[in-house]
Amino acid sequence: MTEAVTTEPIVKELHIDASPETVFAFFTEPEKLTRWLAVEATLDPRPGGVCHQTHQDHDGTRYEMRGEYVELVPPSRVVFTWGFVGTAVPPGSSTIEVTLRPEGDGTHLTFVHRDLPAERDEHDKGWDEVLGRLLTAVAGGNPDAG
Amino acid sequence: MQDAIEAIADPRRRRILELVRAEELPAGAIAAQFGDVTRPAISQHLRVLREAGLLAERRDGVRRLYRARAEGLEGVREFLDQFWDERLADLRREAEREERSKRRDRGRDN
Repeated sequence: MTEAVTTEPIVKELHIDASPETVFAFFTEPEKLTRWLAVEATLDPRPGGVCHQTHQDHDGTRYEMRGEYVELVPPSRVVFTWGFVGTAVPPGSSTIEVTLRPEGDGTHLTFVHRDLPAERDEHDKGWDEVLGRLLTAVAGGNPDAG
Repeated sequence: MQDAIEAIADPRRRRILELVRAEELPAGAIAAQFGDVTRPAISQHLRVLREAGLLAERRDGVRRLYRARAEGLEGVREFLDQFWDERLADLRREAEREERSKRRDRGRDN
């Protein structure tokens, strides 16, 4: 039954008709991050700086994302950790990497969310941790940004 | 899929899944692992997990046996995949809106 659980990161690629500088700011400025991902944000965009986000799901339940910036190379790369308070896994259990490169008049964005559910070898670490990690990754729910 | 996420948000329900991930267990054996939780409360947790697709139930005579369903977790991953598709689509929309606004401002300055 464990075959269905995977560690493969989620990878997304997309083109955005905006400069890398414009897109980069949506990962580092609270008033911009709250336009697409969270309902509130406290951001200190430097390595080791806080990346705190409050997410809200459809029924209004709030989840506190407590991440840290790991790497920032304006306007081409931003890496931050991703984890939720109140889960079996402490904040910082998974990592999001965003790479931006110019493409025509816009930006090619590569998004990677890694350290997701465990592979079989990792089951020894405990199912609770696996589920906790998964929860960490998904607990944000939909902030109803759309 | 929201059901599965809410189901695993509870530490006791994660503990139940942990108990039955490798072996099928009757409800009584599961309940016996929780000294501080009433049997009806355990039944309720089992129901939530079952309805979220994370737990399979099988009857064996009068007993009900439970095991974790990996397929349910696969669904959670699908949910996550979709979650980021939606969020990144919102990012694109907002970033493009911002860019148009910047370009308009630059046009005014020139």
